Amino acid sequence: MQSRDEHPTSKHRKQPLRALAACLLPCCLALLALHLFAQQPDAPLQLFTTTHPAMGTTFTLYLYSTDPTEAAAISDEVFEQIDQSDQQLSNYRSSSELSRINRLAATQTLTTDPDTFDFLEQSLHWSRVSDGAFDITVGKLMKSWGFYLHQGRIPASSELATLRAATGWQKVQLDPQARTVHFTAPGVELDPGGIGKGFAVDAAVRILRADHVSAALLSAGSSTLYALGSPPHRDGWRISIPGPLPRPDELSSITLKDTSLSSADCTQKNFRIAGHLYCHIMDPRTLKPVEGRIQVTIVDPSATASDALSNVLFVNETARGLEILKAHAPEARALIVSGDPAHAHCTAFRWTDTIDQSHCTVN
Amino acid sequence: MNRRDFIQAASVSALASTPLARAAAPAVKPIRLGIIGAGSRGQEDLRHFLRVPGVSLSAICDIYPPRAQQVNRIAGRTIPCTASYAEMLARTDIDAVLIASPVSCHAEHVIAAARSGRAIYGEKALGFTVEDNHKIVDEITRSKVLFQIGHEYRYAAWVQEAMRRVLAGEIGRPTHVYAYWHRNGNWRRSVPTPDPGKKLEHLINWRLYRETSGGLGTELGSHHIDMANWVFGEQPASVLGTQSICTYNDGRTVGDNVQLVFNYSEGRRLVFSSITDNAKTGCELWIYGTQGSVQITIEDATFFYEKSKASNHPSSDHADSKTVVERGVVTGASYSTAGEMPYRGPGAKVQTDNAEDPTLCSVRSFVEAVRGEHPIDADVHVGFRAAIACSIAHDAVFAESRMPIPTLAT
Repeated sequence: MQSRDEHPTSKHRKQPLRALAACLLPCCLALLALHLFAQQPDAPLQLFTTTHPAMGTTFTLYLYSTDPTEAAAISDEVFEQIDQSDQQLSNYRSSSELSRINRLAATQTLTTDPDTFDFLEQSLHWSRVSDGAFDITVGKLMKSWGFYLHQGRIPASSELATLRAATGWQKVQLDPQARTVHFTAPGVELDPGGIGKGFAVDAAVRILRADHVSAALLSAGSSTLYALGSPPHRDGWRISIPGPLPRPDELSSITLKDTSLSSADCTQKNFRIAGHLYCHIMDPRTLKPVEGRIQVTIVDPSATASDALSNVLFVNETARGLEILKAHAPEARALIVSGDPAHAHCTAFRWTDTIDQSHCTVN
Repeated sequence: MNRRDFIQAASVSALASTPLARAAAPAVKPIRLGIIGAGSRGQEDLRHFLRVPGVSLSAICDIYPPRAQQVNRIAGRTIPCTASYAEMLARTDIDAVLIASPVSCHAEHVIAAARSGRAIYGEKALGFTVEDNHKIVDEITRSKVLFQIGHEYRYAAWVQEAMRRVLAGEIGRPTHVYAYWHRNGNWRRSVPTPDPGKKLEHLINWRLYRETSGGLGTELGSHHIDMANWVFGEQPASVLGTQSICTYNDGRTVGDNVQLVFNYSEGRRLVFSSITDNAKTGCELWIYGTQGSVQITIEDATFFYEKSKASNHPSSDHADSKTVVERGVVTGASYSTAGEMPYRGPGAKVQTDNAEDPTLCSVRSFVEAVRGEHPIDADVHVGFRAAIACSIAHDAVFAESRMPIPTLAT
């Protein structure tokens, strides 16, 4: 058996970090202060693009940096945060915090961490102010219509009646003092689908800001994105909004800086029975897929808000949706396409950019 | 009234009116945490701690200032932060200490926390060097404080059930453990610029440098060594190791891939591999026994069984024995794909009621132990048996020779 003294490296191996730590505190403070003022004027900014699968889609980060190593490190940090959000909110992972809440909150008052509690608070806020047009409790509803595993079906009316008892944001009770969540009815299931990507994007943008990134665009599968700063010599990031199918050419474009954009449509997740298209976006009040809406695009400084509000606008009658924006999203802008693709009409709300009127009549 | 105020007012009044809410009013003993080392792993541990009723965070100790803001976000409020662990340990509002500093600082921080009399949740590996590991065990033993090592897989329901069945003999005699942690990433964290002298680089990316890191064998392999120790009921006696830098020639001084063979008694072995440029295999551990295998991952466990060897034993009452002489042997094709490449089948997944995250299970168990509800499972000795193997393996991958692993003096 080898004695401790037979390991010469063991005696002095730890000294470097300890010594480094001792002298580093003032260095850290000084360097961070220096960083706020010192840039690298000689090194040109380059655009780096990274993709990452998470939350059932592909996230893309477009990042300006002077250094490939720095770009790679920041990308890793951002996607590590996205993965953390996925692990926190996924209803496909049995070990996620959201799945734990779904399993236990009907039978006990469950303590959760502050960040998850913030997610629940924001979810209930948009549920309340939209009169349930957005509703975090549509988990069972999505499964019943077969959207959870892409196996679309029409549930029987008796099944819908049962779902009624397990759906409704009012059945979720939060206690901010104790940081607890409790479901007042059995069977309630939270579904992060209408807000989770926005929440994850906001968390990732905080990382980009903390890393002093001057220009980046983070896209969650193109349905929710955040434009941070602007590319060199530009006013912002140009975003193109396609027209309703079957004509995907541009309906409008918008330049974004330090704000988010979310869109909702039915082109990616739907099923067709007897020629009728059933959309994955549910009206939680009727327990049925939304009819008569083609697509919604909304801009708001909060990606969490724009993600949730894209559902609110998609589900509600246009006038009611805009009332909610006026009352609760003072900086929001929106473009709503309704009707059927052959006779679509567009509603622009604080939307000052050009709309191609060959796609729709504008009101 | 803003969003938070509304939710607070509405939900508190609604909740307070229900009998269930009154019954669920927290009756648990509050546990106030201090954290030393609030980097990525410390933050993940903290997130789980705050999911345990009655747990709050009182103070942060970290020498890298941005960590305070990151932790404040997780804690939902501003937490006092200091760069001095002595200052943090001098506070009177801390019941337990979470230590998630770089491994080379563990001994200094654990010993100081133990001397302050606080219960300690220490991230793996227990200590960096052989000397560190012995010192930590000595101090924890002397001070009699509660100590739990962050080998969280010991607390996952599917791991506990799989191990119960393995130790009960379900796969025969376990002889080998093959463990993998394969990733596709450079393991590098973002460093603010400018960084003269690369001081922040060494502080933030301490995992990449030999002086401060045990490399992949310690940072990732310590979990698997602990599992193999559990399977074999002992720590390894020696280790062979090798490593290289294959993809990330960025100035790091630990390998970006490592292969280790740990030798246990009776010829039993743990083979550990970690690579960082291909994630196909991911993180998984196979326990091979004479009658079967079990695959353990971060989400589940699955059993597979060897074909029965009973037919290989000579038998005088075999059914064919009575007829083969009279009826003869029928000729035919001998080739059998199943014999050449036995398909293992889909396996039998371990069924458990509890799918909770292993770290949540681990920290909850620690909090319960601090409240006096039960003893610590993954104690300082569990931590020692894995960490001492890591310490030697760290030298073995540079020496590329077989090196003996010391045991704890009794």
